[in-house]
Amino acid sequence: MTTDVGHTVTRYDQELDRLRGMVARMGGLVERQTAQAIAAVVDQNEDAALEPPELDAEVDALEREAESLAIRILALRAPMAVDLRQIIAVLKITGDLERIGDYASSIARRALKVEPLDGALSFSALRSMARLVQENLHNTIEAMTSDDSARAMEVWNSDAVIDELYTAMFRELVTYMMEDPRKIGPCIHLLFVAKNLERIGDHATNIAERVYYAVTGDMLPAVRPRGGKAAKRS
Amino acid sequence: MSEHGVNSTLSEGAKTATAPELALQVKNLDFYYGKTHALHNISLDFPLRSVTGMIGPSGCGKSTLLRVLNRMYDLYPGQKATGEVIFDGQNILAPGVDLNLLRSRIGMVFQKPTPFPMSIYDNIAFGIRLHERVSSSEMDGRVEDALRRVALWSEVKDRLKSNATAMSGGQQQRLCIARTIATHPEVILLDEPTSALDPVSTARIEELLDELKAEFTIIMVTHNMQQAARCADQVAFFYLGDLVEIDNTDRMFTTPRERRTQDYITGRFG
Repeated sequence: MTTDVGHTVTRYDQELDRLRGMVARMGGLVERQTAQAIAAVVDQNEDAALEPPELDAEVDALEREAESLAIRILALRAPMAVDLRQIIAVLKITGDLERIGDYASSIARRALKVEPLDGALSFSALRSMARLVQENLHNTIEAMTSDDSARAMEVWNSDAVIDELYTAMFRELVTYMMEDPRKIGPCIHLLFVAKNLERIGDHATNIAERVYYAVTGDMLPAVRPRGGKAAKRS
Repeated sequence: MSEHGVNSTLSEGAKTATAPELALQVKNLDFYYGKTHALHNISLDFPLRSVTGMIGPSGCGKSTLLRVLNRMYDLYPGQKATGEVIFDGQNILAPGVDLNLLRSRIGMVFQKPTPFPMSIYDNIAFGIRLHERVSSSEMDGRVEDALRRVALWSEVKDRLKSNATAMSGGQQQRLCIARTIATHPEVILLDEPTSALDPVSTARIEELLDELKAEFTIIMVTHNMQQAARCADQVAFFYLGDLVEIDNTDRMFTTPRERRTQDYITGRFG
């Protein structure tokens, strides 16, 4: 998104750098929230479960701070071309990051409620899904901080696999619930965890779209590659 | 009109060279101030009834191009243009073009308001009298019409006989635009028309341009990027005598193709 030549007005550069710094920090925080939330579920780690909701306030504050700086730059600098695209991308990306943080917190809050399954339900499907979501989230944030449109495109293309994994989990959990109604409670929680992970994947894809636009000036197609049908229905 | 020595081919010339939707077409234009080569092989089209903004740093050639389009440079010795500017089917750079008629069909408004030191009424009547013979009642109508179209009528209708130089800067500039459109030109050239005006007067002129483009082809040089973005349908970026890029306004200000355009419009020029 940046070019190697600085603005004639150096304050402008400083403001844009600060804005990018804020979004990068937000990215780091929500990556951390997501990682801890996943650890809380799959490792049944109580300490890890506490962290995502705690970090939420910081993420929200950064979102507001980035938004007001972006508005200030829009008002004072009347940005054009790549600068304009970058600022618009920031305004949207911070919203996506904030939502990812919320989903991570939601996962963390449910983490210990899936415990009574007591190994009857393996976390293997959830682990693979979580790994892919984390990978996509990491890649989209890297693409954002390094203005890498090719990497953003990769993220955009790889969300379909996450959708498919979610659909598979959905079916698996429905089967468990039909077999043993006592498992319905924990299974529903697990289903919500999976749904939240799938939503995190969607927001990572949104961010990839914004990055792609900011860097290239082109919009990715409105319809992106999608996975299973149950993912859309539920 | 023949009594004024009008070159008839200018008004009734064959229209083969210009596509119907174009008001002006510049082809392979080079311009020289003495030995200085100020414009390099410029080719661009000005679509009919649209606003073209020309931007670029000082000395890039945008005002030079504007002065070529109504042969203003003819007033100065040692200046030379080669190539073609097709207007109404005719190359206006060719010898034998009636410059008075040309300039009544391609009018110009300058950076600083240039009212004549005469009454508001006469400022407008002067240009009309130069090209046409009209009765005094018709003249009254023409003056009122021109002043109404620049939204100046209600402000000055009670003092038409007072001196134009006593008006505010914004009013003077609108008067100059009224004077230009009073002769019913096809093209209006504007050289930084609002750079000497306050924001309210600027907004009035911009509002006016939006209305005028329904009828006239407008070509405007501006240093105000936001103004180009707001007013123009297409924008041309000039740098060191080259036309670097021309595109529709949305594209120019969100996703320019050329690196030099981007650096200039984002404020990264050293």
